[in-house]
Amino acid sequence: MKYAMFWGCLIPAREPNYEVSVRKVMPAFGIELVEMEGTSCCAPFGIQSLDYTSWLALAARNLCIGEEMGLDIVTLCNDCYESLLMVNKMLKADPELKNQVNEILAEVGKEYKGKVDVKNMVDVLYDDVGIEKIKDAVKNPFTGLKVATQPGCHLTKPRRIHFGEREFDVLDELVRATGAETIDYDRRQSCCGGPLRGINDELARDVARMKLISMKNVGAECIVTVCPFCFLELDMSQLEIKRHFKEEYNLPVLHFAELLRMAMGMKLDDWEIKLHRVPLNPLLEGRLQEG
Amino acid sequence: MANLSEELEPSFMHEVANTPRGKGVLTCIQCGRCSSSCPIARLVDEHNPRRLMEMIILGSRDEVLHTKLPWYCLSCFTCLDRCPQGGDVAEVMFAIRNLAVKEGNVADGFAAQGRSLVETGRIVNPTMMMIKKREKLGLSKGPSTATEEVQKILKKTALDKLIASKRTVKK
Amino acid sequence: MLEKPAVLIIGGGISGIQASFDLASRGIKAYLVEKSPSIGGRMAQLDKTFPTMDCSMCILAPKMIDCSHHPNVELLTYSEVKEVKGSAGNFTVKVIKKPRYVDLTKCTGCGMCVDNCPVEVPNEFDEGLGMRKAIYMPFPQAVPRAMTVDKENCIECGLCEKVCEAEAVDLDQEPEEIKLKVGAIIVATGFEMFDARRISEYGYGRYQNVLTSLEFERLLSASGPTGGHIVRLTDGGVPRRIAFIQCVGSRSQRGELPYCSSVCCTYATKEAILIKEHNPESEVYIFYIDLKVFGKGFQEFVNRAKTEYGVEYIKGHPGKIEENPKTGDLIIRYENTIDGKVREITVDLVVLCPALIPRRDNERLAETLKVELDEYAFFKAKDPLFAPINTNISGVFMCGYCQGPKDIPESVAQASGAAAKAAEEIALTSSKGGVDSGSK
Repeated sequence: MKYAMFWGCLIPAREPNYEVSVRKVMPAFGIELVEMEGTSCCAPFGIQSLDYTSWLALAARNLCIGEEMGLDIVTLCNDCYESLLMVNKMLKADPELKNQVNEILAEVGKEYKGKVDVKNMVDVLYDDVGIEKIKDAVKNPFTGLKVATQPGCHLTKPRRIHFGEREFDVLDELVRATGAETIDYDRRQSCCGGPLRGINDELARDVARMKLISMKNVGAECIVTVCPFCFLELDMSQLEIKRHFKEEYNLPVLHFAELLRMAMGMKLDDWEIKLHRVPLNPLLEGRLQEG
Repeated sequence: MANLSEELEPSFMHEVANTPRGKGVLTCIQCGRCSSSCPIARLVDEHNPRRLMEMIILGSRDEVLHTKLPWYCLSCFTCLDRCPQGGDVAEVMFAIRNLAVKEGNVADGFAAQGRSLVETGRIVNPTMMMIKKREKLGLSKGPSTATEEVQKILKKTALDKLIASKRTVKK
Repeated sequence: MLEKPAVLIIGGGISGIQASFDLASRGIKAYLVEKSPSIGGRMAQLDKTFPTMDCSMCILAPKMIDCSHHPNVELLTYSEVKEVKGSAGNFTVKVIKKPRYVDLTKCTGCGMCVDNCPVEVPNEFDEGLGMRKAIYMPFPQAVPRAMTVDKENCIECGLCEKVCEAEAVDLDQEPEEIKLKVGAIIVATGFEMFDARRISEYGYGRYQNVLTSLEFERLLSASGPTGGHIVRLTDGGVPRRIAFIQCVGSRSQRGELPYCSSVCCTYATKEAILIKEHNPESEVYIFYIDLKVFGKGFQEFVNRAKTEYGVEYIKGHPGKIEENPKTGDLIIRYENTIDGKVREITVDLVVLCPALIPRRDNERLAETLKVELDEYAFFKAKDPLFAPINTNISGVFMCGYCQGPKDIPESVAQASGAAAKAAEEIALTSSKGGVDSGSK
């Protein structure tokens, strides 16, 4: 299976560990991720807040690249997913809107035709690879590990654009395939607070704290994310919360691709481990050697 | 009840309804499902999506567009999913933000993102250190970006002019 | 032999009962077909009716008796309509009488069999809150007053047969096909409840102390699983704080149902008053979007609830309900839209008022009758304004909730209307010389 890989801005700039894990894990399942040349920001909520037409045009331009490659697009970041998925659906459904956008894209010699679909890594793993193949690839299962998953708002909502309730549970199933236990917590469907970073840091931190409290209340031992914003927010805010509220949650955060990578017997390098603010130590037991 | 400013503009509701993403304001029945689902509303009194819809409906144009009010939203879409009326509150938030930006009001953080976008084609770019690290790891320097094409597009949509000068939100 | 044709009524709730009785009273034979073992329908499940606060069964039971004992009414309970052929004035209907494995002519309803039956299953009449045996009477005032064996759960131990002094148990009974010739058909199939689990943020199905209003009605009823005592099923404790949530799944554009179910604001008020009568110290909250209490006596009913009983009405549709796993208490997050404050309140019990929907098997029935349904599976009126109880098929009429949301008085009135229309059809046919009655 071949996909056009849309990395987005944040992962290459701040979370190369995520990139590395994905590059190591996907080929093992026969998924080829082809680089997209000349992409741009997908236009997530911050840019959408500024201007509607700019959002449509930037997202559509990225979709054109996938169309030119003749491949469906896969994203990792939930915000990229939301933006590209929404615009793709809107333009496919409204020819007038599509024409308006194409007028702008003509400036750069591009034309959106509506020929590709947008997927996210979770769906590719669940639908294309399948739970059984993932289970087969697991050599060092995370047996007994209690995971609180963070599917994230833009993977799952609005439900009429996404698959409905499915996405909340799909990530949990994938995590269970690595041998870990997933636990339900009251605020599983809630926001991490990330979008308010740089706008109102205190509120962002308080929203994250509500999630952490909810996770801790049910005995979670770690958090698994798929979105780089969720990762940064839930990881970094724990330090802030420790300083401000004097509360410690000690919930290491890692991406599903990293969890899967370790479950498959690979090990994270030191530099990758260091990029996790909340120490990963409890998760690394028995996983310091490749095997 | 909403804090009403001195002058109300009854046409504001229709102005928002005719703005892209703003149509939902027409079907709001003020039931309060959105505000009781909103993670921010439970933390701060000022942010109340139902009240914001009420203010739009009543015509408090000045308060809606020229204060901090629309900028607390997380865009988490919980309200939108739970609204029984298709009020699409989260979408209306985008509509009023777009209107606010046109009149010169934008949260600093987003303005900064906009400027980075116009200058580089991305809202965040790898630092020099990160580029070096990536090269050491055998990764590309960063994602390849078609900065010029982005700039051409943003010139056509006039986003570059929109965020040209630094503006802060009142209050 | 030529004779005046009969009328078939499908559905043995209050609408069907009223229509049958009206027809019978004017000399027209009525076949009342009911899917479950007894007539009575939803009204039998209620404790009291609004706004008079009459005991529901006390006013229903005499009607059930009058109807079933009328010489012109033939009850076909535990039966279903399988096939309909013909046209107005001359329908041939095939009804399948499901085997109840009990001889109706012999059973005295003494209950010895029930006492001895070893199988217990959730009781549908109690909305699954209580248990019944595999041989059972759905409720004490059932008509016909006889037992039925639920063969699916029966383990065929034969104990019931052994202890029955009237020798009424017949485990070899077969389904019976009955052919009826009727001149008109009245559909009165009533309603079901919307599955409240679909509003997952309210926790129905996950939190034990979140109930639907019909489940709560069974708790209120003396014939219910708690003998009419309002207690929590988790710990048997008496709830001191009870919250009602209106419009669960109704008035919704998000893929549920956009219409208003018409009776919920009023019945919630009724249930709230009953709670206060049981326990004056309790706190009762009703969370509403709008209070839709149309018609005579209903606004006054709500006013009484507020002023005389102290029921608190809060104008705010809650966002989410969470459970305290240790106590089973429920935390409701809501905004009181009058003062604009978002708050949380902890209550002992939550009663959801789900949308009332047409029965799912209306689709099959509609196919059998060749009658049209609307997009929500209500039977479609020939003309919504001037022919609301005519269907698109001449000679087939409808009444009650299956025609659209309405309360008991409106159902009864509409049932009489349908009976009048059916009688008109019969009169027309008779004037043409009647129909060959054929074999029954």
